[in-house]
Amino acid sequence: MRHFSLELEELNDLLLRMGALVESSIRRSVQSLVDRDKELAKAVMRDEPTINQMQVEVDARTTRVLALNQPVARDLRFLTATLKINTDLERMGDLAVNIAERAIALINRPPLKLVTEIPQMASLVQNMLLKSLDAFVKVDAEMAETICPADNEVDALRDKIYTDLVEFMQHDPAAVPAAVDQIFVARNLERIADHATNIAEDVIFLAKGIDFRRAVGPARSV
Amino acid sequence: MRHFIEELEDLQGRLLEMGTLVESAIHNSVRALMERSEPLAHEVLGNEDRINHLEIEIDDLAVRLLALQQPMARDLRFLTAAIKINTDLERMGDLAVNIVERAIALMNRPIVKPQIDIPQMARTAESMVRKSLDAFVKREPELARSVLLSDDTVDRLRDSIHSELISFMQEDPQSVPQALELILVARHLERIADHATNIAEDTLFLVKGVDVRHHLEPNY
Repeated sequence: MRHFSLELEELNDLLLRMGALVESSIRRSVQSLVDRDKELAKAVMRDEPTINQMQVEVDARTTRVLALNQPVARDLRFLTATLKINTDLERMGDLAVNIAERAIALINRPPLKLVTEIPQMASLVQNMLLKSLDAFVKVDAEMAETICPADNEVDALRDKIYTDLVEFMQHDPAAVPAAVDQIFVARNLERIADHATNIAEDVIFLAKGIDFRRAVGPARSV
Repeated sequence: MRHFIEELEDLQGRLLEMGTLVESAIHNSVRALMERSEPLAHEVLGNEDRINHLEIEIDDLAVRLLALQQPMARDLRFLTAAIKINTDLERMGDLAVNIVERAIALMNRPIVKPQIDIPQMARTAESMVRKSLDAFVKREPELARSVLLSDDTVDRLRDSIHSELISFMQEDPQSVPQALELILVARHLERIADHATNIAEDTLFLVKGVDVRHHLEPNY
């Protein structure tokens, strides 16, 4: 059996490689939307199986490490955080694919100007993901805590896009399909931001050993 | 400390308690929408805290058991499945809350049209949730597999609801706000079905020790 710390390090590397691929999928999916680039959108879709395969491998390895070693305290928290972050990353990969699918749908429709808030949202969201993964690598709770305010900003942009496009559709019914696609893109980006926030919360738990969800959750006794 | 088996049973019991709460949240969220019932909507919102607390309790318990016991093979698979199923259930609870938010938004607006296939989609999604949890508790792979098949039905229903509402909005632009809310409800239901599918996949992994996610299922 290989050394435990080596296994943890390898697991960490694998998760980060997965994070890098997911980040690139998100970036390319939005780029394909902005540039109306069908090939780029298809490339994002082609990478999905790789992300899925990585998710299965991370899960399998984490479970094996849990079984063969008897990790306690921080190592155990690292491993449970890995299971959770793995789920979040895979879901983000799915959401990038959803954006790529909308990009293709939009290319096939009469052109509708992309709302300017979408690229703005996308850059916020990508930054959140990069920061959350960076915070994970460095086990830096302070950095992780900076991610939650960005999530509120993303939510506000999503709401603005929704309201603006509803009004727009009412005046121009022909634009309905394309406008609905853009609303969904905004929702997908907002969900990606939620998953980045989940990762940040896991990092805080990892660093401090406290459950951040408990700290921010509704203060009601059960 | 209590016996490990009792702890595992306790964990499963709490997951089921959470499952029951989530099922009823989903059911009531759709009823709130269909019946334009504010009390039902508030009931769902009122149960969200309990679901969130249960999620944390279950996570704590599962991690403690991983740490203090040295579970092997099937017990280990059970604990990792419990952690995953817990996340899926909590997320379904959130989605029920999202449906309620749409229901509340629609209460103050004129009804647009019979709510199309949404009740049928809701029934299918609810039955998937129930079956996936049942399959998990009874460790029944066949039941779990039937959930995977229903997911395609739900996706088809979502697509037909989607196109129908798009045409509807184009014919009657006044209906755009309401129709969009319904498109989102269909999307929330589809996500609920996806989470039920995750639970079914975790159950198959638990029972068979084989990962069937992402269509990697081998031929048995």
